[in-house]
Amino acid sequence: MEFKEKLISSHLAFEEDLNLDDSVHETRASALKVFEEKGFPSKREEAWKYTSIEALIQKDYALFPKSEASINVNDVKKYFLYDTDTYKVIFIDGIYSPFLSNTTHDGLDVCLMSAALTKPKYRELINTYFNKIAPEDDSLTALNTSYAKEGAYIYIPKNIVAEKPIEIIHFSSGNENALWLQPRNLIVVDQNAQVQIIERHQSLKEHPVVTNCVTEIYVHQDAFLDYYKLQNDLPSASLIDSTYIVQEKKSHASVHTFSLGGKLTRNNLRFFHKGEHIMSTLKGVTILHGKQHVDHATLVHHAQPNCESHQDYKGIFAERSEGVFNGQILVDKIAQKTNAFQQNNNILIDDQATVNTKPQLEIFADDVKCSHGCTIGQLDEEALFYLRSRGIPKKEAKALMTYAFANNVLASVQLPSLKKRINGQIAKKLGVNLGFDL
Amino acid sequence: MLTIENLHAEVEGKAILKGIDLDVKAGEVHAIMGPNGSGKSTLSSLIAGNEEYQLTKGKMLLRGKDLIELDAEERAHEGIFLSFQYPVEIPGVSVTNFIKTAINANRKAKGLEDMPASELLKKIREKAKLLDIDSKFLSRSLNEGFSGGEKKRNEIFQMAMLEPSLSILDETDSGLDIDALKIVANGVNKLKNKDNATIVITHYQRLLDYIVPDFVHVLFDGRIVKSGTKELAHELEAKGYDWIKELASHGV
Amino acid sequence: MAYTEEELKKELETKEYEYGFYTDIESDTFPSGLSKDIVRKISEKKGEPEWMTQWRLKAFESWSEMEEPEWANVNYVKPDLQAISYYSAPRTKPKYESLDEVDPELLKTFEKLGISIDEQKKLSGVAVDIVMDSVSVATTFKKTLAEKGIIFCSISEAIKEHPELVKKYIGSVIPPKDNFYAGLNSAVFTDGSFCYIPKGVRCPMELSTYFRINQAGTGQFERTLVIADEGSYVSYLEGCTAPSRDENQLHAAVVELIALDDAEIKYSTVQNWFPGNKEGKGGVFNFVTKRGICHDRSKISWTQVETGSAVTWKYPSCILKGDNSVGEFYSIAVTNNFQQADTGTKMIHLGQNTKSTIISKGISAGKSQNSYRGLVQVGPRAKNARNFSQCDSLLMGNECGAHTFPYIEAKNNSAQIEHEATTSKIGEDQIFYCNQRGIDTEKAIALIVNGFSKEVLNKLPMEFAVEAQKLLEISLEGSVG
Repeated sequence: MEFKEKLISSHLAFEEDLNLDDSVHETRASALKVFEEKGFPSKREEAWKYTSIEALIQKDYALFPKSEASINVNDVKKYFLYDTDTYKVIFIDGIYSPFLSNTTHDGLDVCLMSAALTKPKYRELINTYFNKIAPEDDSLTALNTSYAKEGAYIYIPKNIVAEKPIEIIHFSSGNENALWLQPRNLIVVDQNAQVQIIERHQSLKEHPVVTNCVTEIYVHQDAFLDYYKLQNDLPSASLIDSTYIVQEKKSHASVHTFSLGGKLTRNNLRFFHKGEHIMSTLKGVTILHGKQHVDHATLVHHAQPNCESHQDYKGIFAERSEGVFNGQILVDKIAQKTNAFQQNNNILIDDQATVNTKPQLEIFADDVKCSHGCTIGQLDEEALFYLRSRGIPKKEAKALMTYAFANNVLASVQLPSLKKRINGQIAKKLGVNLGFDL
Repeated sequence: MLTIENLHAEVEGKAILKGIDLDVKAGEVHAIMGPNGSGKSTLSSLIAGNEEYQLTKGKMLLRGKDLIELDAEERAHEGIFLSFQYPVEIPGVSVTNFIKTAINANRKAKGLEDMPASELLKKIREKAKLLDIDSKFLSRSLNEGFSGGEKKRNEIFQMAMLEPSLSILDETDSGLDIDALKIVANGVNKLKNKDNATIVITHYQRLLDYIVPDFVHVLFDGRIVKSGTKELAHELEAKGYDWIKELASHGV
Repeated sequence: MAYTEEELKKELETKEYEYGFYTDIESDTFPSGLSKDIVRKISEKKGEPEWMTQWRLKAFESWSEMEEPEWANVNYVKPDLQAISYYSAPRTKPKYESLDEVDPELLKTFEKLGISIDEQKKLSGVAVDIVMDSVSVATTFKKTLAEKGIIFCSISEAIKEHPELVKKYIGSVIPPKDNFYAGLNSAVFTDGSFCYIPKGVRCPMELSTYFRINQAGTGQFERTLVIADEGSYVSYLEGCTAPSRDENQLHAAVVELIALDDAEIKYSTVQNWFPGNKEGKGGVFNFVTKRGICHDRSKISWTQVETGSAVTWKYPSCILKGDNSVGEFYSIAVTNNFQQADTGTKMIHLGQNTKSTIISKGISAGKSQNSYRGLVQVGPRAKNARNFSQCDSLLMGNECGAHTFPYIEAKNNSAQIEHEATTSKIGEDQIFYCNQRGIDTEKAIALIVNGFSKEVLNKLPMEFAVEAQKLLEISLEGSVG
């Protein structure tokens, strides 16, 4: 529990150069109390039954990097969607990098949380949106809130279509021996606005890093949100990512999560419906090897009638990797005519791989269509043989079939260059050169 | 048998039937034709007692008895049978079990005991043969996974089992190929006698080659705009419904 | 009349407990409360050997350190375990040679239930071991069974007559430490059934027990032990109804099944205890632990129709220890008014080529909450394990809830697991279709519900299926106008 003590005692130092008179300070202070009371989650909690962060928190992490790291553009270029012109909000060891970033205030705001939290012109927005949907009783989210200072702040005004995708990238340089990062993002998509966002956490050197990231997203009436999470970090990096999305009527929000790397990844993804005729899409592809562990904990809370949600998560687990899917659909009494669907399909490649899945339906309305399906299995031997009999080597045949298995999820990726990138990464992850563009 | 006077009806506040008069006597076959949306299905649903449709004005009498006061099942007990345009699926309930439940419910309403199993079985066999129905079909879940033709044949099979006095066949020909159509029509014809009556609702004249109507009524925009004998059906087939639209617009 | 939400709501409330009556039989009841002394006294009263007394005391000790579980999706005021009398037995002579000697009041009760023993005997050749408030009062067909070497008796008798079997198997599948209620049961169980099928014997008839709760304020702690020796087969039926009461009554039974190599056990339950009245007052708390262990090539099949009880907490499970063993769970759970059910199964795949099937049908009406909770676990050595699960929920009215909590844990890459769940309601078009054929709405609902539950009803032995079907109908009777 040493690290917990450190987090609590360092808070004073953290707030030293921050304004203690505003309401954000109050929010941070009360969040810290929640964390102090609850501490880190343990496996005794139902929500953490299959994922333990016990080992992670044994280390002593640096909370504030000692020196500002500078990194060479050429070293990190490969992590950008280079063939697409994008807005970029880039952080190195939690500190904003103006050099690598490409922000804007021209028609829309793509800038910094630190600015939004401190500048008077954002005051009203912060009062309206900051920490309004993040659950107060979640200890890790509370911990993030107590240290909320930096991250991406994105505001797409009414009727505006963001013409370029926005990339949010958090690099960790490896200058610190062990680093604990807590970025906080706030995204507001106003009425009838549209935006595409790509988020990534990437360490540049093998070193222990834990990122406890919280993102709050508001999708207003008729707005579109298309969000991609790329998780392909080094085996020394862990990520606890919590994303909370509120949708107003007739809005569409979709989140794709590609989990291909990292040591331990926990994705908390929650959708709350505040109007009718909302569409929510949650998709994910998880391909793991080694001792990697990925836990997807999703919740779609249908609180209004006539809404629809689709969840589709595919997992492929090799070697000693572990996959967890904990998907929840909650349908309130008033949410009649809800259509909620959930799919979770898994393939276990090796003997030692594990899948724990818990798809839950909690339904309080009668006129609904809800279903979930879940499978755990292997690649179809017969199909594999068929491909091999046509001269395709076993490894390639497997990759092809694995690709086919994940295909459903990739099909809905809207950015062609991103799709290509993920295809490439999947092929690489499977250790084969497919010899053709997937 | 059935007397309908100045019938008006609406669904969700929208007027569908705007004054229908119809008189069907025992032993007669009436055909009601009309383009899509003219109100044909509303009329059949209304006679059968579907409460999705609100009757706003008019009278409906079966053998002098006011139908409006009766629930759907009570109308069935009075001898009204509706062959559904889209028969409903009931998973897990076999055709046999369903028909048994229906027959005994109708018997109970008449103060009769349940039909003895042997008698029921005999009747099922006889009627299944009439409609060329395989016995395997009888153990399948009601309408679940049935083809369009199977569903319609199943409707007529139920009609044969329940022996109604007034049958309404709502678009029974849709989804049927010519062989199935002949079987269904043949079944209907065999069930016909001087004491019962049939209303055939259809879009096309084809079915009427096999079930020959005594009267043909053309329904358009919630009104019967023309009545005649079976020749009217041929005329319609030849001239199309545009002709009727014109008739209607001239206020005939 | 078409079926509307409002009418449904109103009518569902008027459903009263079908079998709500009370049989006045003189009883011999212990003072309430639980202590070491009471445990010892229960054992003494039953004339048990010392090993059994010690076993109970050990169970009591470990239970004393346990806490009542709270993880299930149910809400209730916990019963005061110290206010319960732990022993109640009919004071009249406990053994009868023939039915003539049985208290006529009791026979009347069975007549009201429509399951009179005479009828039962005639109908299906079922041997009925009646457990009336804990002590077995009548056993029939014992002779026929004895000829085959089958032992079917009360567990108290088995403890005395077949100590070697009881000693070996009791607590072997569900140890007293397993959970709070199993621990409590182990310490204080008063009676229950025991069944042993010898090697290679196919039990020629369905074995059946009707459980009853009939004494105000008495807890019921049944203990059932079924052992199917190598290559044997048995089908066991358990059915229950209970008189209506104001106070909550606790029922914490333990059922252990042992299927040795190549054996098969089919265990069917129809449960219709008092569910509480329409205000949610009273009703039985049904906290049952049921589990079976499968050795090589053996099979255990659980089938349950749960319509009663105020709170149900029940997970008949299979430990598929042997290679090529098979576990099955077929369940229908109906909740109405304020009933709460949290039920499901655990399929623990340990052996190779093990197979399990789970079919669960939940029907919720009124203000009830109906949850499926299941675990499919494939251990690292369980090569080629297969599981298929299907959980369907049917909701009636807009004040109830249907929940599905499946846990699936696979630690072997050859596992093949499929889980499906759906939630639906009864369509108004289905009701109208039935109405048009002359079937009234109430009957139509019964028909649709029966159809929905058919895959499970089909798994019940014939005479039970009829009763279960009737029960489903009764449970939802008067549900619409």
